[in-house]
Amino acid sequence: MTTVTADSDDRPIVTLEGVDKFFGSFCALRDIHLSVAVGEVVVVLGPSGSGKSTLIRCINRLERHDRGRITVDGIELSNDVRAVRQVRRLTGMVFQQFNLFPHLTVLDNITLAPRQVRRMPRHEAEELAMGLLERVKIPEQARKYPGQLSGGQQQRVAIARSLATEPKVMMFDEPTSALDPEMIKEVLDVMQELAGTGMTMICVTHEMGFAREVAGRVVFMDEGEIVEVGTPHHFFTNPTEPRTRRFLEQIL
Amino acid sequence: MTATVPPADRPSGVGRAAPPRPTARAWARENLFNNRHNSALTVLLGAGLAMLAAYGARFLFVTGQWAPVRTNLTLLMMGTFPRAEQWRVVVQVYLLCAAAGLVWGGLTASSRDRAADADVPFSRARLRDGVRRWWPLFVLLAVLLGMTRTWLPLAFVASALAGGVVARRAMEALPEAGRRAGWFGAGVCALAGWQVVSGTGGIAWWWGSALVAAALVRITGNVRSEARWQPAARLALIAGAVAVVWAVYGRLDFGGVGWDDWSGFQLNLVAAAASIVLAFPVGLAAAIGRRSQLPAVRWLSVGYIELIRGVPLITLLFMGDLFLGFFLPTEDPLSKVTRAIAVMTLFTGAYLAEIVRGGLQAVPRGQVEAAWAVGLSAPRVLGLIVLPQALRAVIPALVGQFINLFKDSTLLSIIALTEILRIRESIHGQREFLVTGIAETLVFVAFAFWALAFTMSRESQRLERRLGVGER
Ligand SMILES: Nc1ncnc2c1ncn2[C@@H]1O[C@H](COP(=O)(O)OP(=O)(O)OP(=O)(O)O)[C@@H](O)[C@H]1O
Ligand SMILES: [Mg+2]
Repeated sequence: MTTVTADSDDRPIVTLEGVDKFFGSFCALRDIHLSVAVGEVVVVLGPSGSGKSTLIRCINRLERHDRGRITVDGIELSNDVRAVRQVRRLTGMVFQQFNLFPHLTVLDNITLAPRQVRRMPRHEAEELAMGLLERVKIPEQARKYPGQLSGGQQQRVAIARSLATEPKVMMFDEPTSALDPEMIKEVLDVMQELAGTGMTMICVTHEMGFAREVAGRVVFMDEGEIVEVGTPHHFFTNPTEPRTRRFLEQIL
Repeated sequence: MTATVPPADRPSGVGRAAPPRPTARAWARENLFNNRHNSALTVLLGAGLAMLAAYGARFLFVTGQWAPVRTNLTLLMMGTFPRAEQWRVVVQVYLLCAAAGLVWGGLTASSRDRAADADVPFSRARLRDGVRRWWPLFVLLAVLLGMTRTWLPLAFVASALAGGVVARRAMEALPEAGRRAGWFGAGVCALAGWQVVSGTGGIAWWWGSALVAAALVRITGNVRSEARWQPAARLALIAGAVAVVWAVYGRLDFGGVGWDDWSGFQLNLVAAAASIVLAFPVGLAAAIGRRSQLPAVRWLSVGYIELIRGVPLITLLFMGDLFLGFFLPTEDPLSKVTRAIAVMTLFTGAYLAEIVRGGLQAVPRGQVEAAWAVGLSAPRVLGLIVLPQALRAVIPALVGQFINLFKDSTLLSIIALTEILRIRESIHGQREFLVTGIAETLVFVAFAFWALAFTMSRESQRLERRLGVGER
């Protein structure tokens, strides 16, 4: 098994140690060891069904792992509901299908968590939300409903919504897979800017350009296992594992 | 003149303008007389319809004997309600009109805000639109007024409606902050309207306290303070206010008329309204309970829903009438009307539960996951994300169930409650109407139900469209 730790002087913020995850008798994650340092950008690659989504969904406990330890910012995930909610506050997640709340305006989508979870008063939360919309470059859409926006705009709202809880780690699950080609870039640009601000990010994506330019490390998964980890340069030019080579041959 | 005017039959603006509406003639030619078969069918059906209309009109205006309805109008509406206490109903109608006006104004104002939020043009209902929406009710009112002999009812209805309209306009004119007071005012009016008839005895204080507590929760919720003592202080404030309301209510005694003396169409309306209001939370709880993680809660909900849905309402009404009182550890058994309302509530609750469950299933799993992912607690996920979407999806079915309940209130007659159908029967026990106007009284009752049920169903369709402002 490949055990990966970040450089020793970097403080890890997310750690997985020997994590297994089963769906019934099907093993979706097998002895996963991974630690992500503060400010690091990790891109997770792998063929369909290899367990990429399951991996990041375990980190904010949308899925419950069956064995091993997962900690986020020192908090271990367990059946303790308060620990789970604290971890969810520390992590933001962006979904392939956006999952915006269709009955709320863009502004209300973003202010919901700050107001409900952090008990921020409305005007303060709205100020925060407008700042975030500015950052994802769509402040003029604040009063619209999600259904009135294009896919790219919706995904940027979803990013703003995740940022509104001021998370320490952002996780992306194929954020551009449901988008038309001309909208992919606007979302990737926002993600790249976010990485530039020093945000810790774990991204599942098929955008190899993004992986090459932005990732600090690439994690390659297959059949529930982490097969290979390395810098983008190492990964794309000189992979060690035969399974990685085969994957790269197919997609490049 | 030179030809600067574009040809009339071709819209200007390079095909941008909407196609012109066809004239009545063109429409008829297109849809009714477009080929020989269709023309024949149109003529035949047209003749048939004309004949039916003629018969109907003759029945309504010439041969119909409306004397039994005319003579017993008050009886049909109020039944055996004590006539000395009639003023209570009058005051109630004024108060409820004011409450309805406030609620209506509040709804238009907030949907106007929503529309403005979404950059969607908002058109206020114009007169024609209003007539199209409310004509069944207008006709019902006109019929009722046309049958009375004095001007008093007309003055009464007109002033009550005017009061409602004024309340509505006032609410619409209020700024957003003041509207909260308007909603509270609506609650007070509704409560007072209820109490002026039913009196202040029994558990009436409970409603008043609930209203005050709800208002205080909202008001104190807006006071910003991070201090630790805040929740405790809020609780103390609310408890204190509830205690005051309770003490005041305890001393008041307005008299009042118990449910058992309510009858006629008023009983139908009250029983249906009370059951609707009570059945909604019951159905919601059962629907949520059915999806609970706790097996005991789940089994209880499933048991309740399936048990009730398997038994006819009439049977349940008889059962409630016969032995609902025995199960309760009270000295005096519940009144007949209370038991009937309890049964109708339980019955409707079970059906609402299944409707709501359908709505809950229609909410995509991603919605819940997104709400969890931003750290919302389970009750908030349910209350802020899942339920609003689930209920919106099932508004038509919910209103359909309410309409059923309203019509089923006539079944109360078989457990010997004097609702409108039974009053109608008793009219034909009067000597002069033994055989006169039997069809006419029935038509009148049917029309009264239809006017209300039809309006409810159309308003629900409107509400559905309204709530969907700016949505996919
Ligand atoms: N809720 C579930 N129940 C049963 N099996 C599941 C469930 N979720 C995922 N799986 C299985 O677990 C495996 C990993 O799924 P996962 O969604 O993590 O893959 P992925 O790498 O994200 O694939 P993709 O690129 O297609 O999104 C798959 O074989 C999938 O069928
Ligand atoms: Mg996936």
